[in-house]
Formats: sequence, C-alpha cells, structure tokens
Amino acid sequence: MQNILATMLQEGPNQNAAPAYIDNASVWRHMSDALHQSLYRVLSLLIAILPGILAFFVALAIFTVIGMIASAVLRRGLSWVRFDDHLARSRGNAEWTPATSPSALIARGSFWVCVLLGLIIGVSAFDASYASAATRPISLLPYLTHSVGAIFLLIAGSLIARFLARSVLIGAVNAHLQYARFLSLGVKWLVLVLTAAMVLDHLEVGGIVAELAFGILFGGIVLTLALAVGLGSRDLVSRSLESHVDRSGEHAVVPPNPPPTNGSESIRHF
Amino acid sequence: MAFEKLAGDPRKLQPLLPKFPGKVTMATANPISDIPTPSAPPITGLLVCLAPMPEEQLGSVLANLTSSFPAEDLVVATPDTFSTDSWPGIRFIPTPATNASWTLTASDFMHAHQLASENEARAILMLGPGSSSLRSSALRDLGNTVLDGSADLAVPCYDLPARAGLINSAILYPLSRALFASRVRFPLAVDLGLSRRMAERLAMGAQRFAATNQSEALIWPINEAAAAGLLTREVDVGPRATPQPSETDINAILASVTGSLFADIDAKAAFWQRPRFLPPPRGPVPFAPSTDAAADVAPMLDAFRLAYTNLQEIWSLVLPPNSLLGLKRLYVTDGAEFRMQDGLWARIVFDFLIAYRLRTINRGHLLGALIPLYLAWVASHINITVSGTNPERHIEAVAAAFEADKPYLVSRWRWPDRFNP
Repeated sequence: MQNILATMLQEGPNQNAAPAYIDNASVWRHMSDALHQSLYRVLSLLIAILPGILAFFVALAIFTVIGMIASAVLRRGLSWVRFDDHLARSRGNAEWTPATSPSALIARGSFWVCVLLGLIIGVSAFDASYASAATRPISLLPYLTHSVGAIFLLIAGSLIARFLARSVLIGAVNAHLQYARFLSLGVKWLVLVLTAAMVLDHLEVGGIVAELAFGILFGGIVLTLALAVGLGSRDLVSRSLESHVDRSGEHAVVPPNPPPTNGSESIRHF
Repeated sequence: MAFEKLAGDPRKLQPLLPKFPGKVTMATANPISDIPTPSAPPITGLLVCLAPMPEEQLGSVLANLTSSFPAEDLVVATPDTFSTDSWPGIRFIPTPATNASWTLTASDFMHAHQLASENEARAILMLGPGSSSLRSSALRDLGNTVLDGSADLAVPCYDLPARAGLINSAILYPLSRALFASRVRFPLAVDLGLSRRMAERLAMGAQRFAATNQSEALIWPINEAAAAGLLTREVDVGPRATPQPSETDINAILASVTGSLFADIDAKAAFWQRPRFLPPPRGPVPFAPSTDAAADVAPMLDAFRLAYTNLQEIWSLVLPPNSLLGLKRLYVTDGAEFRMQDGLWARIVFDFLIAYRLRTINRGHLLGALIPLYLAWVASHINITVSGTNPERHIEAVAAAFEADKPYLVSRWRWPDRFNP
C-alpha cells in the first residue's frame, strides 16, 4: 500500500519513494515531541507552584491556630479584668449597637485578623513561587488584594443598604406614608447599585462601560422614585402631608390650662 | 450624724439607714460667680427649684409657697430674673436654665443637689414648668412629706383628664409597678419632693450621664428610690397643667422616653428580678369621668394596619408567634370592636424590653417599631372607655396584667435562647 502510494505520488522517474515515508514519520515525531514538550512545561510549572500552594495552606493553618489561641487568651483576659463593665461605666448610658459584648467582639476580631494575616502571607508565598516558576512575570497578589477589598466593600454596602432600608421603612410607616415599602426598596437598591459600581471599579472590571451603566441605572432609579412619588402618587402625598399636619397639630398643641372636661377631649400622650 | 441632726429625731432614722451611705459631695465650683456667698450659710428648711416661667406664673407660685411655708425657711432657686422686692423674706438664688421644657432632666437633679449642699437645705422641692397650676395645699403636702422625714421621695398624683398622659398609662406606670413594686401613678412626674439623701442618689445617677455629655437624659426617681431602699410616698395634688414637649414629633419623644426607661430597667436587672411585695393601694380606684365624645381612633387604627402590612418582618424578630397571632386578630377587627387584650399588650412591651436588652435589632429601629403598637393600644383604650368603662380601672387592669406576666419577663430575660414561646 505504501509502495502504491509512493508510486502514485512519485513526481519523476529518478525520484526516490523513501523521503515521503520519512516525512510522515518525522511529522508524527515532531507532533509527538511538541506534545511531550508542552506537557513537560505544564508539569514543570505545576511542580514549581506546588510548594507555593503547600506554603499557602500551611501559612493559613498556622495563623488560624494562632488566631484561635489569641482569641481564647483575649476573651479570658478581658473577662478577667471586667473589660465590659469598665467600658459600660465609662460610656454611661450610651448605646452599644452590636449584639455581642465588646470583649467577644475583640476576641472574634483578633481571630479573623490572624486568619487574614495567614491569607496574605500564604498568598505572598504562592505568588512568589508562581512568579518564579512562570515564564511571564505575572503577579497574582495585587489582584487578590483587590478582590479582598472588593469583598469588604460588598459586605459593607450590603449592611448599609439593609440598615438604611429598615430606617426608611420604619420612618415612613410612622409618618403614615402608604408607599413606605416602595421607598424602602428604592433606597436599598440605590445603595446596592452604588456598592456594585464601587466593587467593579475596585476590581477594574468593565472600565468605562461599568461607569456608564451605573450612571444610567442610578439615574433611572432616582428618576423613577421621583416620578412615582411626585407625579404618580401626588394625591397620596398631598393626603399624607395634610393628615400629617393635622396630626402634628393634634399632638403638639400645648394647652396652658387643663382642657375642659365637657365636650371633646384631645388625645395627649404626655 | 449629719442626717440625724437634720431630721431632728435619730430614732426615726434608725430603720431607714440607706443601703448606699454615700458621701455628701460638695460642689467644687460655684456657678453663681456674681453673688456673694456667705461664709456660713444658714440652715435652710426647704430649697425650691423652679423651672423657667413667665413672671405672672412665678408670682403665683411664690404666693402659693409663702402661704404654705414660713418665708424664712425657704430658698428659691430660679433661672428667671425678676424684682425680688415683693418677696422680702425669701432668699433667692439664681440657677442656670436647662434646655428641657417639659420634664426634669439629669442636669436639674445635679443642680438641685449642688444647691442643697451649698445651702444646707433639709429637703428639696422641684417644680417643673406650669407649676403655677398647682394648689398651695399640693405644694404644702409635697414639701412637708419630705421635711418631716416620713419619706425620701414625694411624688405627686395628678388629676388629669381621661385622655391625657397616655404613654404613662400604657407603658411607664405598668412597667414601674410590675418591676419596682411601686403604685406611684406618675413615675415621670415633673414635680418632686426630695430628701437630701434622695437628691444625692439622683445626682449620682445624673453625673454618669453628664460625664458622657448627656445632661438632658431622663432620670427615673421611682426606680432609683426602689433600688436604694429609700421611702417613696405618693401625694394627691389635684389637677395640673402638664407641660408638653416642644418637639412636635411624637415618634422621637416616645422613642426617647421609652428607650430611657428600658435602659434604666436593663441597668437595674439584678434588683427587679427578685420578687417584690407590692404595697396595697392607697384607696379605691378614682373615678375619672370618661367622656362620651367618640375620639377619632381611625388614624391610629390606620397607622397600626399600615405598620402590620409593612413591619411584619421586623415584628417577627421581636415578638413570639403567640403575640403575632394576637396582632393578626386585631388587624382583621373593625374599628369599633378594636380591643387589645391587656395580657397581649403586656407581653408586647416585655418582648420589646427583652429585644432592647439583647439588641436583636438596632435600638432606634426597635423603638420606632413599637410606636404603631402603642397607637393600637391607645385606640383600644379609647374604645374601652367610650363603651363606659372607667379609664382608671382599665389602666389598673393593664398594670395588673403586667404584674401577672412578670415571670414571663424574668424567664425570657434569664434564658433568652431557651425560653421563647
């Protein structure tokens, strides 16, 4: 079969059939060599960064253990010196908003600081081994730190959005506004959209496209709220404001003398 | 020894020794720099601390005071400037005015104690805004109660219209009675009679607020007296023109008053969790003439229904399923039939108090979420009184419900995670 092919492909009587066979073999060998080389490079890279991965996990584990020890020591130490009581006395009757005690917060915070340190050191170690092993000097560390910052931004933005939404909801309900929930949702999504834009900007994702999209979306939400409140619910707003003024007059009127017992009595909460 | 000398009969004081024999702190700075202070001030009978008021009202108050007490025994501290020629026997001392317009604040108690110490007063009579409407007999009874040593704290019982002082009727009085075993009808009275040691006790509490720049914070004299083991007596003073807050937003004021009381209860948890014996009532429940005029409860019911549809998720963080079910039944009740059960209201207040302590949600949000429920109670109270029930009898029933549910509060306070019906 090969002789027939060689004969068919033979260009001249003097041409030898052996080089075609040798070219095919060399093509396969070349392809095989290339595959082997690329596989070798991948394996070499993987082997080169394995120590970095191991260093990452070791650093994270060590600092987690350190964090647990520090948290336990701090918790016991602060409860031994009655830190919460001293702080409460020094702050008087000022409100302490978090649900957990100050000493528990400090202990928990110290643990997560140690974990974060372990993450940073582990990433540095991984980054160093990756940069040395890779042919191109690409460093992952700056992008990872940006990612951590973006995660913090996202968490903070979500918390602020939830707090503001609840504040607006309760305030609007007590102001007898029928569209209280709508207002609350609008405020929440305004803050969330702003947070998302900040996160994308921090990650340097999207560039000008993300900025434009945020501007259009934010402006659209604000315009929608303004139209809904100003035009669409104009009657509701005027009725709410009128009833609010009437109720303010009813609650805030301060008769200098005791009101007459006959006839109608106004409701006085104080 | 100083207390015995002032009281005149040391045997009277023997069973009344205070639990916290604190020192009498002298004022280190005299704010009245332009008034020459005598080197040895005479022992004064009664120091009267007045709130700012117009001159004609001030004249009326001074006339009532002079008709009730010997002028030579009086020292009147007032922030107003006026001609003292008409009152030759009374010694006047200026005092700085405070921003509070409707109640006594921490700075008032601090000033009163400081002036009492400087002038060696045996007792203090603090009169809030609008005190010209008080009769002279009321001032006499208040002053003599603390002058003769029969009580450390004299609290007036006002004769108010049926629909006045509703926050006091709904929250302040029932909580104070259930937790501190006090039948004082107006725990946040604007007029008080104080003994020297009561004034010192209140000044100590006020100094904590002043240290954190909260000089306008509220002080709860009933709670302080109960915690210190000092004697409290209620005095009938008749009708009074109660001052109203200058702040028109009832939501903010209700939140601040309720929040202040919740914080004080939280601070004194070790005291009120023990069983307390409630003294018997001074007399039969007074008959407050309930008006037949139907008050407009529709706005309050609308507020409650609006809050029910919007604040469900917030209320569900604070209230147990039983209370939420009770609120659901109220939601579907028509206006005239709207009645909130006394036990339901008691548990709602207790649950909010526990949530305040546990910081389940932000405290400002928590107190804001309580306002529609309070308005629902007001609407219910008005409906009950319009139907012919004596308002005072209903308020007493509410207070009794608070007393009956105190074990519920104690259980949830001690085991917040385990006991949640």
